[in-house]
Amino acid sequence: MKSDTLFKLSDIRFSYDSEQLFDGLNLLINQREKVVIKGESGSGKTTLFRLLLGFETPDKGSISFKGSVYTDTIIRTMRKEVVWLPQDLNLGTGKTAELMDFIFEFQSNSQNKPSRPEIIDTLEALGLEAGTLASNFSELSTGQRQRIGLACCLLLNRKVILLDEPTSALDLESKRKVAELLLNNDRTVISTSHDPWWVEKCDRVIELNNIS
Amino acid sequence: MDIIDLSWWQLGIGFFILIIPAWILWRYKTGLNKKLGIATVRMTLQLLFVGYYLEYLFELDNAWLNAAWIMVMVLVADFATIDRSELNRQRSLVIPIFLATFFGIIVIDMFFLEAVIQLPTFLSAQYTIPITGMVLGNCLRSNVIGINAFYHSLNEHKERYRFYLCCGATRNEAVFPFFRDALKKSANPTLASMATIGLVSLPGMMTGQILSGSSPLIAIKYQIMIMLAIFSGTVLSVYLGIRLSNYFVFDEHDVLDSSILKK
Repeated sequence: MKSDTLFKLSDIRFSYDSEQLFDGLNLLINQREKVVIKGESGSGKTTLFRLLLGFETPDKGSISFKGSVYTDTIIRTMRKEVVWLPQDLNLGTGKTAELMDFIFEFQSNSQNKPSRPEIIDTLEALGLEAGTLASNFSELSTGQRQRIGLACCLLLNRKVILLDEPTSALDLESKRKVAELLLNNDRTVISTSHDPWWVEKCDRVIELNNIS
Repeated sequence: MDIIDLSWWQLGIGFFILIIPAWILWRYKTGLNKKLGIATVRMTLQLLFVGYYLEYLFELDNAWLNAAWIMVMVLVADFATIDRSELNRQRSLVIPIFLATFFGIIVIDMFFLEAVIQLPTFLSAQYTIPITGMVLGNCLRSNVIGINAFYHSLNEHKERYRFYLCCGATRNEAVFPFFRDALKKSANPTLASMATIGLVSLPGMMTGQILSGSSPLIAIKYQIMIMLAIFSGTVLSVYLGIRLSNYFVFDEHDVLDSSILKK
């Protein structure tokens, strides 16, 4: 039977700038789970994402994706199945539409490039007007930028989404829309959050201080 | 009309003009006068050395010797590019940037010296050394702007780069916006000087030729050619510099090796 485990971290030790963040960290994340990672500032939430995404390599221990231990090839495969949204997305300067189109023009996304009406529908579902596309990205508010990033994640149609503080700049109405779009389906959603409202909506809470 | 040769004492008098900027810099406590002194001494010694060396080089006019001199100039430009770009002298940068600058210069030299001017003697010193020097000096300036902008911006906005990777981009796709901005920044100064040349400034090469008795029409033909050479050489060397070094400064997971950046 095919394993339901998506990510598995085994006995991870990791230090950053000579400060030990993890020692003996074990973690299992199953497919379709909605997991939220909690922890104080500096507890390693962002580092955990970096380890999962292959941007950092543990000093000891192993990470696997769908049962395969991380190698260069597995990391590249994983990055094509996963999408990650940083807390404060900065796509640079230019019209929002052009900056979004840039992402959908990557060769690996060429098969499922969204149409303009699809993009507009997704933006509207997240409480953004179609006119946002014509605005300069750098002139958008933090909350608008966060929802543009979420729209990109949704439009890429990946089965696994990693979100860094996804509701930090959103009002309650926007949060509801985001939760509706992200959590009520069979995607795996792994997030970090300090927001009790968001934490309550997720299936499982991981307190980072306890595992490490 | 022959050029008026400057005697050494006449040149010495020229140095007195530095009293004015030195006083201004001292008056406003810029602390730049020590740098001014060092820069003036270095400039004088370097040019004296090059002057005597070139006399010798011109006399021999040997293609191998000229090529060796170009290699030395490229090597010095290589280290200067890395230092001024606030990067560390690591093998992953020194070799690719040397190759990029060298290849950029060779393409431009071969095209302009051999295909356009059609030198009677291969790599004739009288043409090769000054034209290579002018192109290389501009390549250095553009490489510093472009390579500095690329790596420092990539490091500063690594979340954006990583976001692209996690959206399915290959490394080349993910660095594309940073590469584009670096090319724009490095090409803009040369484009600006091309747009105003002759109106705002009379460039050094043209001035030199007119001073040494060439007709202004010959001088402008050479100047147009050198501007084309400079622009092509700078864009080519920045492009190659970033492309080649990108093979060595990322790890197997597409993470930039931050040890290349000076802290």
